[in-house]
Amino acid sequence: MIAAKQSDMTPAQRAHVRRILWLLLVYALVLPPLVWLRATQHVGDGILLAMAIAASLPVLGIFASWGRYVSDERDEYHRSLTLGRIAIATNVTMGAAVVWGFLQAFGVMPLIETYWVPFVWVIMQGMFGCVEFFSRKGGQQ
Amino acid sequence: MTARALRTAAWKRYNLRIIWLSLLYCAFLLPAVYGFKHHLITGAAAWIAAVLPALPIIGIFGAMGRYLVEEPDEYVRMLTVRQMLWAMGFTLSCATIWGFLDNFGLVGHVDGYWIVVLWYFGQAIGSIANRVTLGDGRC
Repeated sequence: MIAAKQSDMTPAQRAHVRRILWLLLVYALVLPPLVWLRATQHVGDGILLAMAIAASLPVLGIFASWGRYVSDERDEYHRSLTLGRIAIATNVTMGAAVVWGFLQAFGVMPLIETYWVPFVWVIMQGMFGCVEFFSRKGGQQ
Repeated sequence: MTARALRTAAWKRYNLRIIWLSLLYCAFLLPAVYGFKHHLITGAAAWIAAVLPALPIIGIFGAMGRYLVEEPDEYVRMLTVRQMLWAMGFTLSCATIWGFLDNFGLVGHVDGYWIVVLWYFGQAIGSIANRVTLGDGRC
């Protein structure tokens, strides 16, 4: 079953998934000690800056991996599916950010950390991935 | 490809939509700012007045999506998609870095609409990237 699923993937998709898994692993390893350090120890601003950048880097790597995937993908159908998904996820995320932004600016909603923006983007990607998967499965039945 | 050739019929329609949406944005934003500044709006009306200026901006994103669908020239579409990918990567990266700097207490919270400002800035970076890597692009 898994072998069949793997063979469905293009080489660029396999490389992209591999990169994402490694980056998520790095993220999972890097973030908890940084959060613990911030919560329990008093650290200087320079160290805090390095900690914030260290926590950001794997997430930045994930965005770079998407860019590389789009550039590496030779299958035009898969590339167009991905670009469509990225376009929708970006538009929904930007829409959410601008609505929240104005609600914040006019004092209706509280201010939040900006990393929730990429979080919404990733959730959108996942949602459209699920929609594509189930619509494909529905089409096969 | 010359700058004139890059201005396709779909691009002109897109620009027209952007102008209308920008005018609508001004029409919603100015009364909202005035109303909030003078404490004229409260309760449910405050929510509506805060969301209204966001709607034309969402419309601009919708117009971009529609432009991509309407653009018949594949090369021009590819340039626009590349530009948008750069903008997306730049915006999400900045948001991630700022979010963690904020989380670690180094910078303050910012209003979410700055994300969209960053995105437009990212579009300019995408245009420069297109010019550098393909020798073509539009601002």
